[in-house]
Amino acid sequence: MATSNVTMPAQAGSTPRPRRTPRQWLRRYLPSYLFILPALVLYVVFVLYPFVSTIYYSLTDWDGAQPVKRFIGLENYQHLAQDRLMWLSLTHNLIWIAVGTVTPVVIALVLATLVWSGVRGRIVFRTLYFMPVVLSTVVVGMIWAWIYHPMFGPINLMLRAVGLESVARGWLGDLTWALYALLLAGLWAYFGFCFVILLAALQNVDIELHDAAKIDGANAWQRFINVTVPQLGPVLTMLLAYTLIGGFNVFDIVYIMTKGGPANATEVLATYTYTMAFKQNQVGYGAALTMIITVLSIVASFLFITLRERNEPGIQ
Amino acid sequence: MAATVTRRRRLRPAELLTEVVKYTVLIAVALLCVIPFIWVWSSALKSPTEIVNTPLALPAHPTLDNVVKAWVQGRLGKYFFNSVIVAVPIVFLTVALSSLASYAFARHSFPGRQVIFYLFLIGLVLPFQSIMIPLYYTLRDVGLLGTYWAMIIPSTALGLPFGIFIMRAFFQGLPFELSDAARVDGCDEFGVFWRVILPLAKPGMVTLGIFSFLGAWNSFLLPLIFMQREELRPLVVGLMFFQSRYTSDYGLTMAGATIVSLPVIIVYILFQRQFIQGLTAGALKG
Repeated sequence: MATSNVTMPAQAGSTPRPRRTPRQWLRRYLPSYLFILPALVLYVVFVLYPFVSTIYYSLTDWDGAQPVKRFIGLENYQHLAQDRLMWLSLTHNLIWIAVGTVTPVVIALVLATLVWSGVRGRIVFRTLYFMPVVLSTVVVGMIWAWIYHPMFGPINLMLRAVGLESVARGWLGDLTWALYALLLAGLWAYFGFCFVILLAALQNVDIELHDAAKIDGANAWQRFINVTVPQLGPVLTMLLAYTLIGGFNVFDIVYIMTKGGPANATEVLATYTYTMAFKQNQVGYGAALTMIITVLSIVASFLFITLRERNEPGIQ
Repeated sequence: MAATVTRRRRLRPAELLTEVVKYTVLIAVALLCVIPFIWVWSSALKSPTEIVNTPLALPAHPTLDNVVKAWVQGRLGKYFFNSVIVAVPIVFLTVALSSLASYAFARHSFPGRQVIFYLFLIGLVLPFQSIMIPLYYTLRDVGLLGTYWAMIIPSTALGLPFGIFIMRAFFQGLPFELSDAARVDGCDEFGVFWRVILPLAKPGMVTLGIFSFLGAWNSFLLPLIFMQREELRPLVVGLMFFQSRYTSDYGLTMAGATIVSLPVIIVYILFQRQFIQGLTAGALKG
């Protein structure tokens, strides 16, 4: 970042300050606290407190109705370790992350680079690519349910038209393919987000460095890998981490399109949690499940960001 | 903005080929994005016979029958109203509370500033699932479940970390001489905020407002859990139940999808510039 000469507010403790009486202290700082108070109260009561409660709930066998929550220690977690459906769901989340994290970012990166390299109608492409992102997941689900329709879906119509009748199937009802069908729908609805961010990040890429590499005889691909991508490093990290977290708590598209079926073939941690906590009233167990989602997503994103930062000294 | 590499000169055959491939890829992807929208919106305007006979053509005899039926009989009109009733206060409260708090974070120094700010940042990585279960019972116990507040308050609270993150960056970018001058002229702290800083922060507030609106409008899991009463359902959840009831009537369900998607697309197109700016500012500064 360029050095800015904007006057920063005096940092607390940066200069030795005379001791204040409580009254002076209050007069000095009260306005600041009053500005923050409404947001802080709402945030603490409706976000932080429930979060801490989740940890507590996960240590009980509460069913949502009993007046007292019975403390059972780590029993829920012991059950989870032997819960076949939990492991199956987690596997699906991991597949979702493996396929769904890199793919949209790579596709968006390629498209953004193409647009950045100079095309007419940059804004038009940006507008169109982003349209699916603002669409409600329910509508995304309806569109893709039609695309995958066993009889009149365009995919099956095309397969039959080229004589691949045996490949055509009800994609969302297929035990092997349902999860990937959801991933594709999710990709359609998400890549535009990555595209917009990467396109903006590309505007900051140093063109002189690019031209220098060109003079040195680097071809387009080499320039892309050695000049463009490293400069996008921080943004790519942020995008990948953000997408990764999304992979652990994916819910909407799965619940809307398959509800975790057929036969749990698309069950993910979040849909399983929803069923447990709100359909079967196993509140304590559901809370333990949400703790898994929470811990995994937080740990994964931290690991990811620290790893990246260690590999990229000098880039903030 | 004009950093795009553009060169205007005659193209060699190899370059011409590259250009053709480039545009083909970009346009193909654009079509993949747009065609589903056209299909949804045009199906909504078709009669059942037209849907069956020419599923992919544009409507030859456009009719609003489906839309009217979905709006009235399918009660999507009621759900539309519900969505507006929750979205307006969510947008207003998120913008107001985020602006107030981030003003202090950006332009005051006080004990605990960093700690409280980081406390809010935790909210950026916290998945909704990690709070939804106790939140449901808290809302039930304080009697908010079964009212619009069950969606308004948690959505606002959940929107604050992002709101503060965006607005703080915005306030930091405004010159400090301005507020100093106002203080010298005898303005109190709220006066500085209200009369001097806030008017300058309008673009940031618009951006945040659009984000909150789209977030509230498209929010799914939260109302699925907290707004279980039929007459409180927002449009998105209403559409899901509507769609599963009329699965085979494509014209009707697509009319429902149109009622849900058209407002967000209009908002997005109208405020595209602010929206993209906010998105990229948040991402690139973070």
